[in-house]
Amino acid sequence: MTYKAQFFPGKSDPSKNRRKYMDPSYKLQKIRSVSDEDIVRVLGHREPGEDYKSVHPPLEEMGEPECPIRELVEPTPGAKAGDRIRYVQFTDSVYFAPISPYQRSWMYSYRYRGMDSGTLSGRHVVEARERDVEAIAKEIIESETFDAARTGIRGRTVHGHALRLDENGIMFDAMQRYVFNKSTGEVQYVKNMVGEPIPAPISVGKPLSEDELKKRTTIFRADGVTIRDDAEVLQMVQNVHWERSFGGFEPYKEAKF
Amino acid sequence: MVYKDDKHSFMQAMKKKFEEAPDKKQTKFYVYGGYKQNKRKVEFHDAGQQIAKERGIPGYNPSVGMPQGQRVLMPYQLSHTDIIANMDDLHFVNNAAMQQAWDDMRRTILVGLDSPHNILEKRLGKEVTPETINHYLEVVNHSMPGAAVIQEHMVETDPRLVKDSYVKVYSGNDELIDEIDSRFVIDINKEFPADQAAQLKKAIGKSMWQVVRIPTIVGRVCDGGTVSRWSAMQIGMAFIGAYNLCAGEAATADFAYAAKHGSVIQMSDMMPARRARGPNEPGGLMYGVVSDCAQSLAKYPDDPARHSLETIALAALIYDQIYLGSYMSGGVGFTQYATAAYTDNILEDFVYWGMEHVKDKYGSLAKQKPSVKLINDIGTDVAMYCLEQYELYPAVMETHFGGSQRATCISAAAGTSVAMATGNAQAGLSAWYLACNVHKEQMGRFGFYGYDLQDQIGAANTFSYRSDEGLPFELRGGNYPSYAMNVGHQSAYGGIVAAAHAARGDAWALSPHVKVAFADRSLPFDFANITKEFGRGAMREFIPAGERDLIIP
Repeated sequence: MTYKAQFFPGKSDPSKNRRKYMDPSYKLQKIRSVSDEDIVRVLGHREPGEDYKSVHPPLEEMGEPECPIRELVEPTPGAKAGDRIRYVQFTDSVYFAPISPYQRSWMYSYRYRGMDSGTLSGRHVVEARERDVEAIAKEIIESETFDAARTGIRGRTVHGHALRLDENGIMFDAMQRYVFNKSTGEVQYVKNMVGEPIPAPISVGKPLSEDELKKRTTIFRADGVTIRDDAEVLQMVQNVHWERSFGGFEPYKEAKF
Repeated sequence: MVYKDDKHSFMQAMKKKFEEAPDKKQTKFYVYGGYKQNKRKVEFHDAGQQIAKERGIPGYNPSVGMPQGQRVLMPYQLSHTDIIANMDDLHFVNNAAMQQAWDDMRRTILVGLDSPHNILEKRLGKEVTPETINHYLEVVNHSMPGAAVIQEHMVETDPRLVKDSYVKVYSGNDELIDEIDSRFVIDINKEFPADQAAQLKKAIGKSMWQVVRIPTIVGRVCDGGTVSRWSAMQIGMAFIGAYNLCAGEAATADFAYAAKHGSVIQMSDMMPARRARGPNEPGGLMYGVVSDCAQSLAKYPDDPARHSLETIALAALIYDQIYLGSYMSGGVGFTQYATAAYTDNILEDFVYWGMEHVKDKYGSLAKQKPSVKLINDIGTDVAMYCLEQYELYPAVMETHFGGSQRATCISAAAGTSVAMATGNAQAGLSAWYLACNVHKEQMGRFGFYGYDLQDQIGAANTFSYRSDEGLPFELRGGNYPSYAMNVGHQSAYGGIVAAAHAARGDAWALSPHVKVAFADRSLPFDFANITKEFGRGAMREFIPAGERDLIIP
């Protein structure tokens, strides 16, 4: 029997969304367009049109030794070209952001190769070869997992995920990398990931409505759905805890405890 | 758990911190005048300019850093007090009470008197009576701060600089204690409720111990490892002087060992070479010891939650702000992290809710046998309650704006609740890890990498006692293998240990000696009112020891 990944338990919307985003056979819904040049500008690692900086020659010029792993694993485009490692990092508001840091890690692990992810409470960083990072960033920023108001693209000074929202429902950013354009109703990036000004505002579109966010989110909340409302999720959490506890070196046996 | 219940103990603080109602999700940013909204930061700014001018080297200058104050710079209410403190005043560098709390622990060592008394009588033919003990205590209280006893033409310390140094004694032998000059005694009967005093006296027995406080200034200039040496030298000199001992005979070597090192309790263990700290430094401090330093239970014997919270406050200072925040890391960020555990009555609300939940569900504390089901039930209930408060009250979420702050408080509440239900700290620790998983899954996020690593692996050794596999929780500490960088955890670990024993009605968690040693009214820092003392420090009302104004222009 072929193993079929279940991805995540549960019947609630956050559970379904977690499954959906993790399942690489599901194509993330594209809800906005941002040009390749603007993605490069927001990331701030290079200027649009500038060559990629490399840390080694292209692999095909390197005369690599015979190696079954090298034969087995197709290098990513960035690895083939010898790009340096760069990153993109997102901050996700606790207020029904479409996705949150753990789900990013899980989703990226299923969807992308040649990357390394870091999960913290407010933000999530993914590192990869530079052109691979740009491709990941473009797919994510244009997708349903990114909301203009509740997701931030932030390389530094990332705080804000747990703060209340501003009067327009926008997540706090101490560097004010983005502004809400009242006339268009859109959020515009005016600085790159590390807070350096960019030549012209880059729109990431209008914020989703609260109802739409609640439908798309992976976050369980008391004013939405909690894991208590999704019995299978709670059961999974408790199972994980006890498997870890009694899988130790020489613990008490459960029956005797 | 009633939404909009004004009885939440964090409500008062939330209303003082923010203009908006605590359940409102929206606020304003970038309109508060930056750092100028905060009087302390204005003071820092002005002082920074003056200092730069005077020394000719640029210094504090907020314009080169991330602009402070683009949102409300919140004040903090010290839990179970009415004191509202400025955030900067809770960094230990800015808070004399916090410094003194650790100074008082580091400069303490407990030294037994039974062994030297035996050698005095059996090897050296000296008579030991209450009168000779009183005489010795008078001499050692002269020598301990740094004064000469045996030799002439000796350099001595200025008594005004070392006036916080002294030696007291305690014993479980009431008859003996009655014979000792009360100025030298920590009287267990006076400092503890009767049932706790009876437990302590029984555990200590007939033996007599000295509580030695070396000068704060010595602990600071040297280190924790100095404490036993300073104490030993002054004790040796005092014995020679008080009992007219020969300074050269062979028996004196035996006596010196017995008097100085034979029965000694240090506050913490030496650290291994890779962390390179001596004894009486914070990394080697066991959770049972920090729980025993806290004295809340003696003053509020029916309130195990308060004792747990006070222990957490003390442990947050020592493990997070001082040890991990400075010894192991350096800088200022850890203060923001640690204060979450002892300000604004948020953890207070969680821990009391958990305790009342246990009472409602099981009728009493410390009567339940630990089990998978019990830990699951209480741990999940309490963790979910805490999560709901963050989610229903955005002001609370914003107050604990880092995931690790929330992780500390949620897991601490689950851990203390199970510890109080079972009287078993190990079961409480298991609930800590369960709550970590509940938190992670509910929010899809957790703490910093330390949480995401250590709390994913920690459950595996919760129930292990064997060497190299685990330890009873009371004996674990900052140097336990995977706890060495557990920022934000160890405050609560101390509190979980405290909760288990307080709920059982135990007078102490690990050491009756430590418990008695810190029930001492002569200490500058009051270990029965830890958050209040931190608050007094923040208000600049606390008078510390070890000052050197006397010897500067």
